[in-house]
Amino acid sequence: MNTDHEPGEFERRTAALLRDSAENLDGATRARLTRARAAALEPANRARSWLDFRYLAPAGAMAAAVLATVLIVGPGEHVAPVNDATNSALFDMDLLADADAFEIAQETDLEFIEWAAAQGELDGAGG
Amino acid sequence: MGTVTPSYCEGLALSAPKDETRRELNRFLADVERKAYRMARIALRHDDDALDAVQDAMLQLARRYAARPSAEWRPLFYRILENRIRDLQRRRMVRGKVMALLPWRRDEDGEARDPVAEAPDHGPGPADQVEGQNVMAALEAALAKLPGRQREAFLLRSMEGLDVAATAAAMGCSDGSVKTHYFRAVQALKAQLGEFWT
Repeated sequence: MNTDHEPGEFERRTAALLRDSAENLDGATRARLTRARAAALEPANRARSWLDFRYLAPAGAMAAAVLATVLIVGPGEHVAPVNDATNSALFDMDLLADADAFEIAQETDLEFIEWAAAQGELDGAGG
Repeated sequence: MGTVTPSYCEGLALSAPKDETRRELNRFLADVERKAYRMARIALRHDDDALDAVQDAMLQLARRYAARPSAEWRPLFYRILENRIRDLQRRRMVRGKVMALLPWRRDEDGEARDPVAEAPDHGPGPADQVEGQNVMAALEAALAKLPGRQREAFLLRSMEGLDVAATAAAMGCSDGSVKTHYFRAVQALKAQLGEFWT
């Protein structure tokens, strides 16, 4: 309230005009203002807060730390896992590359080799 | 009541207000939103910009200052609103200067076009509009021609009905400055609107 100033006729008239113009806003503007007010008071708007700097800053620091670690430590020696299938494939490649070995493999009596290996184990155990 | 110091920056509650506070805040915003829109509209002469300014002021008040005593909301709200209005005016001015420098923005005479000067004037001059339904348009045009601080002081005191101290809090200046701005605004408006207005 204007406690320290007595408004004249001019001020009273302009004040009344201005207040009337505010009260008689068109419906579309009133509706937009109502929506704006609801949005301002809506707690769900906090969902945007994950974009706040206070969350982005630690995330950025973490990313920088990971990057620095990778750059400093480096990729290191990479030892590929080798399984039986890989070994078998490599053995087959050697066999194909070596013509003599291939022929020996074709002529070998696998049953004889298995019998000989078993005999060797028995001799070892008994001897 | 003295001026509100920047102490309102303390204890910022960057969260949505609690239910009871939200209801009270809703009542407060419903009370001020139309007047705030009119103030912003007079200063910015653009509907969407005015609405943006009011919405930003609402958001900032709700997010940052809801925890403050409700008695402080009004000057705080208008202070935020005026800051937002000034931001938009500055941005518009910079944009206008940049656009004026662009070669394809020059007219046939080679004169740089000034978007601010070319902004649509809402009707004839103030003195010609003080009849019938044009009275409000004349007042609005006259207010738009006032310096920002004078317009701010006049609107806060006359439309919002704030006293000198609350107006000073909203404007971030002394009581004496408010009285000076207000007095000059009244004199300028009387001069623009003509003697038959009174």
